Amino acid sequence: MDSRVITITSGKGGVGKTTTTANVGTALAIQGKKVAVVDADIGLRNLDAILGLENRIVYDLVDVVEGQCRLRQALIKDKRLPELYLLPAAQTRDKNAVNSIQMEQLCQQLRQEFDFVVIDSPAGIEQGFRNAIVGADEIVIVANPEMASVRDADRIIGLVEAAGKSEPRLILNRLRPDMVKRGDMMDVADVLEVLGIDLLGIIPEDESIIIATNKGEPAVYDKRSRAGHAFLNTAQRLLGEEIPLNEVQEPASLLERLRRLVGFGPAPTEKRIRSQSS
Amino acid sequence: MGVFQFRVGRKNPTPGELAKERLKVLLVHDRLRLNPAQLEIIRQEILEVVSRRLAIDEEQVQVNLMNADGAEMLYANMPIRREKVKFEWDPPSGNYHAYVLEPDGQDDEEGK
Repeated sequence: MDSRVITITSGKGGVGKTTTTANVGTALAIQGKKVAVVDADIGLRNLDAILGLENRIVYDLVDVVEGQCRLRQALIKDKRLPELYLLPAAQTRDKNAVNSIQMEQLCQQLRQEFDFVVIDSPAGIEQGFRNAIVGADEIVIVANPEMASVRDADRIIGLVEAAGKSEPRLILNRLRPDMVKRGDMMDVADVLEVLGIDLLGIIPEDESIIIATNKGEPAVYDKRSRAGHAFLNTAQRLLGEEIPLNEVQEPASLLERLRRLVGFGPAPTEKRIRSQSS
Repeated sequence: MGVFQFRVGRKNPTPGELAKERLKVLLVHDRLRLNPAQLEIIRQEILEVVSRRLAIDEEQVQVNLMNADGAEMLYANMPIRREKVKFEWDPPSGNYHAYVLEPDGQDDEEGK
């Protein structure tokens, strides 16, 4: 079975790993894939709350690894999507409750059941991070266009390479087009130039993410959420579809929209994003 | 390419540009695990070698690491003191013998 294990990681905390995991996982399930999202942030369980599944947890990842329960008993079925499951983290243990061999075995087990296994890595570069990437086919790094986050992302890229994994791809999260326009924030092209990896998605900063988290419904369900739309596009790119990386191009100014209407404006393609800063 | 090269026609870099340029330098240091003291040693050694041939304004020498087009690069900016430009070379025999040319035509003492 050609299932894919994808780990979402970042180095720095608070950049949106868990939000990304929830939204990308949900979006893949919306696309009809059988998906397991795995919370590998043992001791700091959060993926359950973002998915609105916090009241249903009986067993967790550590229970499965320690043989306290079977994998199927710990997997929680999503409220809406019959093909989406959550394997929650333990809340009372810490990162050292699981070792790399156990995690790799767990990934193998999940492969038997699912098309996609999306693992939410903890922040940091210690055992928890190593556990999260050990069984992964693909690594996706979430970064914000900000010094500390990009620096940590670079460190993670080095560690992923050292672990013998293929080159990670980048989701640039919480981009603020207004700040980029003023020159107050690094552009997509700037971050790509510094990190030198391929881009998988651009997610604009969006209040709807906090609202979605408050409701326990990932933003991909919200048709009006720009971030949710960007996550849907990201998931489709993971599926190999060629979706232009133009998430931050809209809303265009009235003048730009007019120009585009008349046919003068450049098409909002990836090339345009790449050339913006030059 | 300069170490800090910003958009033409702009006096000060924007915060976004500053972030990118700072990161390019910082990440090379991170990757190579090179601290400022070690870079200073490299700076001194480069200065020592180049100074054998050219009169360098030591105060103005800048040796920086940065990332350019995905490769780690060492940039050395070494302004030559115009008034003391001199050029020495080794003759093909390999015997060290300095020929010194001064702009004013006076021979300079070797290895001063």
